[in-house]
Amino acid sequence: MSDMHYGPSGVAGQKAILTWAVHLSVGLLVLLWVVPTLGLLVSSFRTADQISSTGWWKAPFAAEQVLQVRTADPGTQVQEGDLYVIEGQLLDETQAEKIASWGTSSRDVAAYQPGDVAEVRGGGTITVGEDGAYRMENTEPFEGGRGQRVFITAMVPPELTLENYRYMLFDDSNVNGMSRAFFNTLTVSIPATVIPILVAAFAAYALAWMEFPGRALLVAVIVGLLVVPLQLALIPLLKLHLGIGIGKGYLGVWLAHTGFGLPLAIYLLRNYMAGLPRDIIENARVDGATEYQIFVRIILPLSFPALASFAIFQFLWTWNDLLVAKVFLIDATGQTTVMTAQIVELMGTRGGNWEILATAAFVSILVPLLVFFFMQKYLVRGLLAGSVK
Amino acid sequence: MTKTTLFAGAAVAALIAGSAWADNVTVFGPWLGPDQEDVEAVLDGFAAATDHTYSYVGSDSFEQQIRIDAEAGSAPNIAIFPQPGLAANMAEAGFLTPLPEGTAEWVEENYAAGQSWVDLGTYAGPDGEDHLYGFFYKVDVKSLVWYVPENFWDAGYEVPETMEELKALTEQIAADGETPWCIGLGSGGATGWPATDWVEDMMLRTQPPEVYDEWVSNERPFNDPAVVEAIEEFGWFARNDDFVAGGAGAVATTDFRDSPKGLFDAPPQCYMHHQASFIPSFFPEGTMMGEDADFFYFPAYEEKDLGTPVLGAGTLWAITDESDGANALIEYLKTPEAHEIWMARQGFLTPHTGVDPEVFADPALRQMNEILLDATTFRFDASDLMPGAVGAGSFWTGMVDYVGGKDAQAVADDIQSSWDGIK
Repeated sequence: MSDMHYGPSGVAGQKAILTWAVHLSVGLLVLLWVVPTLGLLVSSFRTADQISSTGWWKAPFAAEQVLQVRTADPGTQVQEGDLYVIEGQLLDETQAEKIASWGTSSRDVAAYQPGDVAEVRGGGTITVGEDGAYRMENTEPFEGGRGQRVFITAMVPPELTLENYRYMLFDDSNVNGMSRAFFNTLTVSIPATVIPILVAAFAAYALAWMEFPGRALLVAVIVGLLVVPLQLALIPLLKLHLGIGIGKGYLGVWLAHTGFGLPLAIYLLRNYMAGLPRDIIENARVDGATEYQIFVRIILPLSFPALASFAIFQFLWTWNDLLVAKVFLIDATGQTTVMTAQIVELMGTRGGNWEILATAAFVSILVPLLVFFFMQKYLVRGLLAGSVK
Repeated sequence: MTKTTLFAGAAVAALIAGSAWADNVTVFGPWLGPDQEDVEAVLDGFAAATDHTYSYVGSDSFEQQIRIDAEAGSAPNIAIFPQPGLAANMAEAGFLTPLPEGTAEWVEENYAAGQSWVDLGTYAGPDGEDHLYGFFYKVDVKSLVWYVPENFWDAGYEVPETMEELKALTEQIAADGETPWCIGLGSGGATGWPATDWVEDMMLRTQPPEVYDEWVSNERPFNDPAVVEAIEEFGWFARNDDFVAGGAGAVATTDFRDSPKGLFDAPPQCYMHHQASFIPSFFPEGTMMGEDADFFYFPAYEEKDLGTPVLGAGTLWAITDESDGANALIEYLKTPEAHEIWMARQGFLTPHTGVDPEVFADPALRQMNEILLDATTFRFDASDLMPGAVGAGSFWTGMVDYVGGKDAQAVADDIQSSWDGIK
């Protein structure tokens, strides 16, 4: 509507349409990204049985379900005159409040209305009221070890549980493993972020501002290294580590992460540093500053956005890493397991515990989220720094 | 730079601290979650009976991890292999240490069908000579059909005693407008393996055990008419839209962990489910074995007179890094106590004849163990014995193709050509 004010030229109208198109597509993209995460979040509050029976989008709504419940076992029967009677309440263990229909055979689970009387297979009758109260009567004593199975159709209100989070974070069988894995992951991630930045910053400065023969070739080789998949290097590198006596351990995983992270780090930082104004650096050289002084006093402070954005990348990558940790770190003692490995273990021998996976995803996402929100203003600047001069 | 030296120093300190676990037996296996608690209970018993300590690590990618660790020289003392095929490869590469003298004789005497367990654990070492490398402990029975007794009562069905009756029951359930079977082959990267159990069970029920052995060793090719017949026997159940919950098209896409849940739906999606003895851990929470769910032996054809064959699998313990503790642990596994600890918990069967069957935690396990001990023929899961590229590769994918509608002969031809390719 606002484009009316710009007159009939049409230019403003086109712009507005374009803006709308951009907004809409951004909105759609955000939705596309957020929906699976939302599903995961909802699933983390559901039980395994709920996850396998209905979709997460149904979680917030009451749904009509067929529930299987049992009457009290024959041991609780009382004698009233010449009748043996079992009485009780079927809805006690469910969230439902009102029964729509019920049945005693799996062949016809909604055979009866509340208040109807049905035959029981072992003899006698049963009636179930709308409120879930039941009464079984028989002229003979009820026999057997278990109560009668009754199917009830009822509206079940939505039910969400914190049990998964309790199991992940506070359960006795997990709490030691999880907290150890948490600190192990920090022990891996922080040095594995700091070391490559340190090395890459020096290298990037040399490649951007120091003149030496073969510099362009070296840059090209480093860019070329970006496309080498790290999986190629896993076994040879591990053999090298064992050969020189590092073995499996923190030092090995730090070195591996450093090696795998360096090409991208050098490339990003070099591009950023090469875009810094030449005048400042040449002035400093004329004033007699050494290369080290230029690097520490001028280049490093100016490159902070690029350093920060790479730190975020590297931290997220090492935090979420499972492959490198499994190859270079986790050994048979089990003392050096990381969060990702611990989460896989929680999935069980045959990996069916989806509710644990969903919950674990949100527990392990917390630290990276914190890091991201603290440093995100640098991320955008740093991202642009690599591409736009 | 000072920071890096600091970290290096910390790492060295960590390494030194690591070497203080001298008397510790490291055990690496495939069990996680509740299974891990069970195996740790057994290892606690070991620690109490000897002066050794232990540390157990489980992994869902055991098969890959143990190779990496062995190649890299950082193997645990004891590795628990879920497949003899992998253990045989590792033994040939020289990563396993033969079990102490006399173990083979002990297994022969104290295990039901002892010789077959010795054979399954004996491989050629790096020098080409045969040694006993694997000690079988914890066995699964695969020839089981799971059902809900109350659903059978409601519908008036009887537990079938023969394959003819099972097929008649299947047809009857379908004729009643219900669905007899829940079959799910989905298992991520291993999709297809539940079908290999079907085909193996069918092999044992249509052919004598010698043919089965020839098939496993590929003396009899995979595209032999006997094998194609077994695949088609499986197809009789799985490729009929009326016999399978969700229709034949859903077989390959249904996850094997979700598949048995159809038994417990109200109304039930299906009445029977063919799966190994581990499956109750995927039944809905609170399911009581023997009451809410039960099983029967996947029966044999009456007319073929092949006895009562049983298909099974098991884990074998092998020494990957010899130490006094490792030998002591293998020694401990021979005691009835080591078996009874797990028997009293869940999901454990054993061919050990010296244990007290009263110890079993639930009667269902005792019945399963009876099936195991009553078997006239016991055969190990063929896909676990075949080379990995077939048994954990083309056999799985071939079965997915087969339930997808491909011809049994064509599928068998493809699998055989993949086997020829690795010879």
